[in-house]
Amino acid sequence: MNYMFLICADDTTTPEAGAVMGRETPGWVQEMDDRGVRLFGHQLEGPQAALSVSVRDGQTLVTDGPFAETKEFIAGFDLIKCDDLDEAIEVASKHPISWFHSIEVRRILGPDGSTDMPLPDAEVLAQPKPGHQRYLFLVAINGIPGSDEEEAQIRAEVETWWEELAGRAGMRVFGQGLDHANTATTVRVRDGETILTDGPFVESKEFVAGFAVIDLLSKDEAIALAAANPIARYHHIEVWPFARYPFNND
Amino acid sequence: MVAALIRRTGDWDLAEECAAEAFEQASRSWAVDGVPDRPGAWLTTVAGNRALDRLRRAKRGAELLEQAAREQPAQEDEMDEIWDQESGLEDDRLRLIFTCCHPALALEARVALTLRSLGGLSTAEIARAFLVEEATMAKRLTRAKAKIAAARIPYRVPPPELLPERTGGVLAVLYLMFNEGYLAAFGTDLIRADLCVEAIRLARVIVQLMPGEPEAAGLLALMLLNDSRREARAGADGQLISLEEQDRTRWNQEQIDEATLLLAGSFAQGSAGPYQLQAAIAACHAQAQDASSTDWSQIARLYGLLQSSTDTPVVKLNRAVAVAMSGAVDQGLAMLDELEHDGRLAGYHLLAAARADLLRRRGDRAGAAASYELALELVTSDSERRFLTRRLAEVQAGQSGQSRI
Repeated sequence: MNYMFLICADDTTTPEAGAVMGRETPGWVQEMDDRGVRLFGHQLEGPQAALSVSVRDGQTLVTDGPFAETKEFIAGFDLIKCDDLDEAIEVASKHPISWFHSIEVRRILGPDGSTDMPLPDAEVLAQPKPGHQRYLFLVAINGIPGSDEEEAQIRAEVETWWEELAGRAGMRVFGQGLDHANTATTVRVRDGETILTDGPFVESKEFVAGFAVIDLLSKDEAIALAAANPIARYHHIEVWPFARYPFNND
Repeated sequence: MVAALIRRTGDWDLAEECAAEAFEQASRSWAVDGVPDRPGAWLTTVAGNRALDRLRRAKRGAELLEQAAREQPAQEDEMDEIWDQESGLEDDRLRLIFTCCHPALALEARVALTLRSLGGLSTAEIARAFLVEEATMAKRLTRAKAKIAAARIPYRVPPPELLPERTGGVLAVLYLMFNEGYLAAFGTDLIRADLCVEAIRLARVIVQLMPGEPEAAGLLALMLLNDSRREARAGADGQLISLEEQDRTRWNQEQIDEATLLLAGSFAQGSAGPYQLQAAIAACHAQAQDASSTDWSQIARLYGLLQSSTDTPVVKLNRAVAVAMSGAVDQGLAMLDELEHDGRLAGYHLLAAARADLLRRRGDRAGAAASYELALELVTSDSERRFLTRRLAEVQAGQSGQSRI
């Protein structure tokens, strides 16, 4: 069973809290890597570096920042392998970010509804392709379902796009869909007590429905690729550069 | 179950196969839909149906088939009984309770799911009890069940490190269920009183399944004691009657006796949690022959203990009243002053109502009237509004000017 942790922060971080998170997070990463629970994860550049890409009437629209205008933003993510939600909650509650901010726990849907999530080799995961910037694409769905036929059509188009992308020579990419935001659980730890909320960290009809990790040469290439995703015609693709120096908040 | 199936079909292999298939189907279907109200009956019916299917397919003769079909209703009860005697059942119910009350589900969904899966209430009944449309409640239940399956909420009794916290969560759901019914159980709102009945029934199940959990016994005792006053707390016209003015002969003595016994047993286990303490406070009231012989000193002490584990302003408010009622009126009023400065109870009508009541008992009619007026500005429930209005009229008319302390 695989889960995605969406690490949610806001700009209220005090220097003390930042120091604790900066100091303690590497230990959490080490512990969860050793336990075989954490498969992959990375800190992201701040929301000022994010882009929201959509296509309307054939025009690519790019706006700065994430699509949803909230004070909370996604500061990083982890891909986790756990037995069940209780273990995922335990792992999230040990993440120092949850002591100050929150972690949204989402089930990752394997291909064809399986519980496995195919990942590239460890050395590919370890660092981006030389000379490339690594990006996280988040598929942000506006929550308004189309007709079943439309939805099936979009899915088929995305499948084609994805296969074409994965087959492109030298392209390093992996990603997966997430279960509906209705099944999300948000984890916070306050005064040593684990507090759970049913649902995503921010209550809006917009929600993250999938992710992809891609190594690309430039921001323009990232925008072009996001715009080529058929979902961009109906919803939005958020483009987040990976932070170059993980765990350094300064 | 296998034995009963063998008896019905006369075919050992068939019976074993069908029982195994029923269990297999149960493990799949219960994980998604929740365990049915009567798991034994469910399994027996599924296994029985499978056996009938097979018999049909195997063309084993119309007579055998007819006989099996004819015997089914009687057999079902019998087999349910057999199943009930098997040890697996209790574990299943406990697993189900913990799953329904999992903290990753929204609180209202936990209550609804528990009522649906364990309480045997229909979706329509639960919807009425929570004053929402049936479609809304159906959606809430469907969403919760979908989340259990999709997010992989484990179907199990939590491991030891999680058990205390999760047990507390289960008890909180039952108490919420009870209060939802108790606080609104007036007049013709009978379905909401059903919530009390269900909460008590489920608490009994928990006490039975978790005998080493004194807080479970404490909660059951607390609910029984509150429920014992249900008949006496509403007047014929649906008016709220205060504890002091209730006709104590209308209290349900059977429930009080059961609660007293439960409570003694729970304290004998050597701990005193918040539910036990609240039940002990309720027991002080229940044991008093009349309002004037209430042991307020003991109640004030119990609130003191409660405050050390659960330091909420509402507990402090109750403690202040108990302290005043035990004779230290000034001390009680001083505690109310502290609460007012604290500010957390700002806008809470019962803070003003408590002050009004203490001033009324002291004979300060003008002060009492001012506080009743403030409480009336803040109150939202109709029955409480009527009660406060009556009190205000009394102090204004000077009928209740005499101190009872």
